Amino acid sequence: MREILQIVFDALSLGSLYALGALGIALIFGVMRLVNFAHGDFIAFCVFAMLWPSVDAAAIVFAGQLPFYLLIPLLLLIGAVLSILSEIVVFRRFRNTNPATMMIASFALGFVIRHLLLMLYSSRPKSITLWPSLGLPVELLGAHIPMLQVVTIIITLVVLTVLVLFLKRTRYGLEMRAAAENFTMARMLGVRANGVILLAFAISGMLAASIGLILATNSGTADISMGANVMLIAFIATVIGGLGSIPGAVAAGFLIGAASVVFQATLPHDARVFRDAFVYGAVIVVLLVRPQGLFAPKSAKQRV
Amino acid sequence: MTLLSVDDITVSYGRLTALRGVTLTIDEGEVLFVTGPNGAGKSTLLNAIAGVVLVGSGSIMIDGAKVTGNSPEDIARRGFSLVPEGRNVFGGLTIEENLKVGTGMRIDRKKIADDLESIYEEFPMLAERRHTPAGMLSGGQQQMLVIGRALMAAPRIMAIDEPSLGLAPKIIDQVYEILVRLRTQRKLTLLIVEQSSTRAMMTGGRMVLIRGGRIVLEGAATEMVKDDRLKHAYFGFGDH
Amino acid sequence: MSTRPSVIRQTIVTPIILIVALLIMAALAYQFGSRAFNRTAVEMFINIMVVVGLYVFVGNSGLLSFGHISFMCLGAYMTAWLAIPPVMKSITLKGLPAWLLHTQLPMWVATPISGVFAALFALIIGRVIMRLSGIAASIATFGLLGVVNNVYSNWDSVTGGQGSIVGIPPTMNVWIGWLGAAISIAIAYLYSISRSGLALRATRDEAVAASASGIDIVRERLIAFVVSAFIIGLAGALYAHFLSIVNPGAFYLRTTFVTLSMLVVGGMSSLSGAVSGVVVMSLLIELFRNLEKGVSLGGHTVALPNGVQEIAIGIITIIILMYLPTGLTRNQEFSWRGWPLQRRLARTVQTALKELN
Repeated sequence: MREILQIVFDALSLGSLYALGALGIALIFGVMRLVNFAHGDFIAFCVFAMLWPSVDAAAIVFAGQLPFYLLIPLLLLIGAVLSILSEIVVFRRFRNTNPATMMIASFALGFVIRHLLLMLYSSRPKSITLWPSLGLPVELLGAHIPMLQVVTIIITLVVLTVLVLFLKRTRYGLEMRAAAENFTMARMLGVRANGVILLAFAISGMLAASIGLILATNSGTADISMGANVMLIAFIATVIGGLGSIPGAVAAGFLIGAASVVFQATLPHDARVFRDAFVYGAVIVVLLVRPQGLFAPKSAKQRV
Repeated sequence: MTLLSVDDITVSYGRLTALRGVTLTIDEGEVLFVTGPNGAGKSTLLNAIAGVVLVGSGSIMIDGAKVTGNSPEDIARRGFSLVPEGRNVFGGLTIEENLKVGTGMRIDRKKIADDLESIYEEFPMLAERRHTPAGMLSGGQQQMLVIGRALMAAPRIMAIDEPSLGLAPKIIDQVYEILVRLRTQRKLTLLIVEQSSTRAMMTGGRMVLIRGGRIVLEGAATEMVKDDRLKHAYFGFGDH
Repeated sequence: MSTRPSVIRQTIVTPIILIVALLIMAALAYQFGSRAFNRTAVEMFINIMVVVGLYVFVGNSGLLSFGHISFMCLGAYMTAWLAIPPVMKSITLKGLPAWLLHTQLPMWVATPISGVFAALFALIIGRVIMRLSGIAASIATFGLLGVVNNVYSNWDSVTGGQGSIVGIPPTMNVWIGWLGAAISIAIAYLYSISRSGLALRATRDEAVAASASGIDIVRERLIAFVVSAFIIGLAGALYAHFLSIVNPGAFYLRTTFVTLSMLVVGGMSSLSGAVSGVVVMSLLIELFRNLEKGVSLGGHTVALPNGVQEIAIGIITIIILMYLPTGLTRNQEFSWRGWPLQRRLARTVQTALKELN
């Protein structure tokens, strides 16, 4: 029982990260058919923004020293601004090009951000302690669960609830969902293309910042490649979930998180190092069975 | 008063020219019925006015303001509401959400709720299923929905591309009855594009015939439908 | 493969121009270049092989693949298994089967075997993946990259795990690099004028019409997949001989994206685009590398700070794509009638295709 509870929490907290990442990618894909490969670097950027630029081994904590009620909004703002800037400076000019070109442009942008960070901070991972008290375990139904896992899951649920309320209950949310389904039709109903796209980028940037916060708290380090792994899985989750489907992306994020944890727990000891191979293999199998994704929206049928 | 004027516009897709020098005007409260064979450039005309395709030369004015080259959302905000061919409902959104998408640009926000009720009165079938996803509706119901959706944007001109496409004759009659009623009730300016000209009898108003990207015939709808010249011009008999 | 003399006569110029241009570069590097410059040249030739291999699949099918670098990985490790002296293998790679443990093959034998190994693997995995199309196919190739990287990073007794395997004889030079690139270009050219290549391009441009005229998309894609895997497997083998060490990290995301960028910058549906993308990017990288080392200007040595190279390359890539979204060659091939860049200057008609999305 205790072990099962532990697995459930592991799966939920890992799935939370993937779901938040997948959301950030799905939102932008929905409105401009761009798979944003720079998303992982946005995450890293937000983490490093807490440190003062320096190539020394010892990290100089900068914004990270702020109390959480200032740090969190500041980081969300940084994520949103970075994301919006990348839209205005780069992606806006790629709106009518083919997906491959856009994808490579986003990769190149991520490459620039990553190497900018490397130049400012060097490639050494730096330790960053945000809230040490979150590392302590809490007892839940007889199992010891790290506080951070609980917090991660709660944060994700809060973020998801806010986002769902925003998408379902507000005018801008409605416009964004309409634009994700049929961009041209939405524009013909007066929905402003730039407005919707900027909003999607802003939300996506804030999601990147929250992932950055969770990762930094979790690992206690700022590492240049920390966003890349989440980004990869998140990208896969958006496809498995059915490109363009926001609930699908979230569900698939949790699904991949759960699959990773379950493989980790059930594979024989020797095969555990190959867990990711099983996860990727499972992804291929899912695609073969349902190429349009598990939760593809009705309007997303492949046009011939 | 002239609400929409299209002056000598040309549109091409690569080497293919879809419209060559089309000129027309619509007065406030008028109905204009545009007909013509498949590939004549009818949809291109609507899409050009809506700002979805680029106009090569010529100009388009709405209410005296030049809108050539403006974005689709700007043109919609000036009161031009297009119901495109193939209906284009937002399948994942509910009926009510579909109806509300176009209200974001309205200034008279207080009237939106009233308008929604009046749309539901007009289309009781939509009211019953207001919280079901629009993707579940039949073709005829979707056509009603997109007309309702366009009305919710409080347009000054409503343009409809092929409202009868893929619908059973009985349903087409219903659609046209609604259009005629809306027109008299709301004094709506209508621009209807249809491959078949038979329904022009119901709407009255003026009619133009487009063929090969040009306007080849123009006149009162009721007169033209009876006229043999229409058939000749439509099929291109007698011109070489 | 049926060959049509007229097709060859019209198009043979392209591979000849490419191969001869590369030969001149190889000769210049050999004659005037420093040792370091020669290494850059070899690296460029290997990248040309990879990108040309990518072009065979991506360019002809129109499907983006993220998985082709795994074929480079397979080729490089196969070469490591075949070419490292048995004495060293028995210490570091204990898990290899005995017959492999006791073999040592020279480069000219190990390389083609590595290519064939990658191609066979592609044949097996491609039978499954090629049934997918569009973005699902791209993600499946991503999955392939993930599986291969994970297995090679963790199968310690056979691949040495995360660490590097050392001891591959370093027998590469510019001439072999050029030969590899020339062979790749020749294979890619022959494939693109073959019946399969033509059919596959038809499916890329007009999917419905092509399948209506009886083209078996899955089969043609599979052929392209296998041919491209063979070329990239060869590239991996030569890469192993070039560095004399292999490491799974070298065949993962960074290489995948860098090679894809080179392809897209050059123009992803033309062979000339594939080659010129690599050449231009390699020259830019070399230029910025030298600027980082420092250039003397009137007695002062001015050097760019370290790391500027990557940032500049990234920015240049974005700018090229902004202004030439179909790449430097605009997806045209080089021919006697003029360079693609000149043809581009013809005035474009203003078309109605505004914002489709």
